[in-house]
Amino acid sequence: MSDFDLVDIEVTHEPADDVLHLDPSEASEGHLHTIQAVRLQAGQPDSELRSLKQLDENSVKMLEHQVDAAYRALFEMDGKALLADEVGLGKTIEVGMILKEMHFRDTNDSVLILTPAQLAKQWQAELREKFGLEFVCNYDDEFNGFDSHDYIIASIDTAKSDRYRQTVLARNWDVLVLDEAHYVKNEETDRYELIDQLSYNYAFFLTATPIQNELTDLYNVVSLLRPGLFGTRDVFHQYFVNSDQETLVNRNELQDRLNKVMIRNRREDTDVDFTERRIDTRKFDPSPAERELYQAVSDYVKGAYSQDQGQKLVLMLLQKEVVSSPEALETTIRRRLDDQSELTQTEELESILDLIDDVDTVTKQERLLDIVEEARDNVEKGRVIVFTQFRATQRRVAERLASEGYTVHSFHGGHSSQEKEEIITNFEEQGGILVSTDAMSEGRNAQFCNIMVNWDLPWNPMRVEQRIGRIHRIGQKRQVYVFNMALKDTIEEYVLERLYHKIDLFQQSVGELSEILTRLEESGKSFEDEIFERLVNADSEIDLENDFDAMAVDLQEQRDLAEKLEEFNSGVFEGFDLGASDD
Amino acid sequence: MTDAAVPVTQSAVEDFTARYLRSIGSQVEIQGDKWEVQIPEDAETDLPKGHFTLVCGTIEEIDEGLKQLHPESPFFQDVLEDAADNAPLGGVSIDASHTEIIIPDWLQEADISVTDAEFLPYYDRRALAVLFRVSIETVSEYQREFLRAIAIDTRSEETLPNLDQTFLDLTEPGRDTITSHEMTTEMKRIQELVDASRKPLVEDIQPTIDETHQEASRAADAELEEYRQLQQQREEELAEKLDRLQSRIEELNAMIDDSEQEDRVEALKERRDRKSDQEDIESELTKLRQQREQGYPEQQREIRNRHALEVVVTPVTVTEIEYERGDAEFKLTNGGAKQTITVGYGSGVGVTEEVSCDECGQPLTTDRPLGGFKEKLRCVECN
Repeated sequence: MSDFDLVDIEVTHEPADDVLHLDPSEASEGHLHTIQAVRLQAGQPDSELRSLKQLDENSVKMLEHQVDAAYRALFEMDGKALLADEVGLGKTIEVGMILKEMHFRDTNDSVLILTPAQLAKQWQAELREKFGLEFVCNYDDEFNGFDSHDYIIASIDTAKSDRYRQTVLARNWDVLVLDEAHYVKNEETDRYELIDQLSYNYAFFLTATPIQNELTDLYNVVSLLRPGLFGTRDVFHQYFVNSDQETLVNRNELQDRLNKVMIRNRREDTDVDFTERRIDTRKFDPSPAERELYQAVSDYVKGAYSQDQGQKLVLMLLQKEVVSSPEALETTIRRRLDDQSELTQTEELESILDLIDDVDTVTKQERLLDIVEEARDNVEKGRVIVFTQFRATQRRVAERLASEGYTVHSFHGGHSSQEKEEIITNFEEQGGILVSTDAMSEGRNAQFCNIMVNWDLPWNPMRVEQRIGRIHRIGQKRQVYVFNMALKDTIEEYVLERLYHKIDLFQQSVGELSEILTRLEESGKSFEDEIFERLVNADSEIDLENDFDAMAVDLQEQRDLAEKLEEFNSGVFEGFDLGASDD
Repeated sequence: MTDAAVPVTQSAVEDFTARYLRSIGSQVEIQGDKWEVQIPEDAETDLPKGHFTLVCGTIEEIDEGLKQLHPESPFFQDVLEDAADNAPLGGVSIDASHTEIIIPDWLQEADISVTDAEFLPYYDRRALAVLFRVSIETVSEYQREFLRAIAIDTRSEETLPNLDQTFLDLTEPGRDTITSHEMTTEMKRIQELVDASRKPLVEDIQPTIDETHQEASRAADAELEEYRQLQQQREEELAEKLDRLQSRIEELNAMIDDSEQEDRVEALKERRDRKSDQEDIESELTKLRQQREQGYPEQQREIRNRHALEVVVTPVTVTEIEYERGDAEFKLTNGGAKQTITVGYGSGVGVTEEVSCDECGQPLTTDRPLGGFKEKLRCVECN
C-alpha cells in the first residue's frame, strides 16, 4: 500500500571475534550457563503489574479486562496506547492502574492529565481515593501554573489558553493522559495542535468513540499517538476507507495495525453486570411557611442577581439551600449579613431570617421517616444512606433521626481518612442510617447497602451519579433503590422532572453521562450555570417551564448523539477482535 | 531456525541464579524469599565477592545492603551478563537417550499408524549450533531485537532444522539433561561454518525484516508528506505576501509619480525596501518551487537516513553438537497391512534422507504424505 523505496536496508554481519577468541579445546562446563544466560537476556521479562498488590480492595475493585488493558498498554504497546473501551467499563481505572504502576517503577516524574473541564475534579478525586495518587488540578487554589507542579490534571482548554500554552509546551512530560481523546480528532483545531506539539515519553488516550464523524478521525487520533502507523492520510483513505466514509475495507490489515496501539473492550466480553436500579421520586407539597420562604429567597436571588453579577455563586447557593433545610439557608444568610454590612438588601435578608423562624416542620424530614421506617422493616440492618449537599442539613437530619431512635452515622469532608474508614465500617456492622454530604460521593464505597435517599439534588448530574455509584457498583448483589425527595413547585422539581428524568439520568452510568456532559460543555457553560441562568432570567412561570424544556431538548439531543456514536463505533469495530494476539 | 528467547519468569530467574552462583563456587543458602549468598574471593566472576543477602521478588522499599532478585533487578542483569560472557564456546553430545524419535512430517500427515519406531545408531557426526543476535535498527518505534538458533552440519554444511529445536529444548533454563564439554572442530573450520550459517539465517528472518521495512517506510512516507504539506503552505503564504508587496509597490509607483518632493523621497525609500523584500521572497519562493519539483531531495535524504534499516547479525554462542547417525525403523500399519521401513536418521535431527514415492518419484513431504505401502511406497496422490 505504500512505496517502500524510500527506506534502505543494510545488513551488517558482525564478526564472531568475541566468541571465537577462546580455544575450542578449553571450552568449559560453563557453556550451558552461557547459552541460558544469552537466551534469558533475549527474553521479555515476564512483566507484571507490581503495584496492584498495594491497592486497597475497598477503594477499587479491579476487573480482569482493566488489568489486562493496563498491562497491554504498558508492556505490549510501549506506553503509548489508545484506551477505547465501550462506555462504562472503567477506562479511568485502567489509567489509574497504569499511573500507579509507573509511580511504583519510578517512571513518572511528571504527569499531565488533560480532560474536559467538567471532569477534571472527578479525575483528581478518583486518582486520590482509589490509587493514592495526588494530583493538583488547575481549579485548585494552590495551582501555580504548569511549570510549578509535576502531577497536574487540567482542562485541555486551560492548557491551550494563551496564558499557559508556552509553559505547557516548554516541558518534556513523562506521561500525557488525554481524556475524551475524540476532541482532538480534527487536525485543524488548537487542541490538536497542542497535543501534536506536546513533548512526552508515554501517552494514554481515552475515548469510547474514537470515530466521531468519519473514519479519518481515527487516523488523526492514532497518528498523534503513533505517527506514521497508518502512513499518509491519503494512503489511509485509499486503503482503508470505503468511498462512502461509512465502512472499512481491508479490515484485517487495519486490525493488525490498530492492535499495536488500541485496546477496545466490549461490554459483552467483560463480566461487568449491574443489578437493577429502581428510582422512586417523591414530591411533597411544602408547608405554607416553607412555600413563603422559598418565594422570598427566589425573589431575593433574582433581584440581587440582576443588580450584582459578581455574587452568582452565593446566590446559587441560597437557591439550593432553601430547598434543603432552613438551617442550611440560615447559615449563609447570616454570613452574608455579617460580611457585607453596607448591603442594600439587608432588610430583605432580615425578613428571610424571620421566615426561617416561621418554619416549624420541615416537610422532607417527616417524609424521610416513612422511607427509613420501611427500610428498617424490610432490609438487612435497615441500612439507608441519606445524601445532602449541606452540613447544616446533615446535622438536622441526623439529630432528628437519632431522636426517633435510629442508629445514625454522619459522614462529611471534615473527618480524617481513618475516621472516614471507621464510620463506613460502623455503618456496615451496626446498620441504621448514614447521613452523608457529597464528601462521600468520591471514593468511599458501600455496596453492602442498597438504599439511598437524595434529600436534596445537586445541579450537576455527575454528582448525582457519583452518589448512586457508592452503592450501585460492581459487587452489589441486590436491587438498588434510589429515593429522590423534592418539594413541589420549586427549582428542585424542575431539575428533577424536566431535566434529570428527561435524560434518564438515574439509569445512566458515569461513562454515559460524561459523554453527554462533555458534548454539552462544548457550548462553554456548565450545567449548574445553565440551570441558574434559566431560573433567574425567566420572566414568568411559563417562561421558566419553556426554558427548562428547551434545555431538556438540548440534553436529549446530546444523549441521542452520544448513543448514536456509540452504536456507530460498535458497528465499525464489529467483528474486530482487538484482544491480545495469541502468538 | 527457531526463536531462542525464553520468558524471564520469576522462577526461571531464581533457578538460573542459584545454579549459576553455585557453578562458580558460591554458597547459596535459601531461606524462603531470602537467600544468603557467599561468593568466594577467588571465584572467576565480576559479581561482587563476599557475603550478601538476596531478596526474591519486588519490594518497594528495601533495606540498604540487601539485593533484589527479580526479572528486572540490577543484580539479575549482572548475573546474566557475567554468565553470558563466561563461555560462549562449548560442545554437547546428543544421543538417543536424550531425544524421542522424530517422526517425519510425511508420516505424521499420513493416514497410516506408526506402531513402533526404533533408532539404530552407527556412527557419530558433528554439527554446530549458533545463536545469533539479530537487531533491526531504525527509528526507535520499530526497533527489534531477537535471538535465533541455527544448526549446520560440520561436514556437509547443510542446515538441520530439527537439530536447532532439539538444541534449544535441551539447553532450556532449568533443564540439566546434558553437560557441556570441549570442542573438537578446529577454529578455522568453526569460523567457516559460522559464516556459512549467516546466509540461511538472513533468509529465515527476511519476512520480519520486510515487515519492519514496511512499517518504517510508512512512517517515513507520512513524515515526508507532512513536510511537503508544510512547504506547500509556506509557498502559499509567500505567494500571498508577494501579492501584497506587489500591490504596495504599485501604490508606491503611483505615489512617486504624483507626490511632492518630500513624500516622493519617502516613497522611493519605501519602494526600495519593498523591492528588496520582494526579491528575497521571490528567491525563497523559487527555491521552494524547485525543491518541490525535485521532490524535496534533501528532506528525502534526511528522512531516508533516519528511517533506514540496519540489520545487524552477531553470533553470540557457538556449540558443537555431537550427534549419532544411523537408521530408523518405522513399523507401519494400515488396515490389516503391516510394513517396516528403514531410513537414514540422526539423533535430534530426524530423518536425514529424502524418501520418494516409488510410483511417481516425487519426494514425500508434508503436502505429499505417504499414501500406502503395499509392495512399494506410494504417495497419497498415487495411492
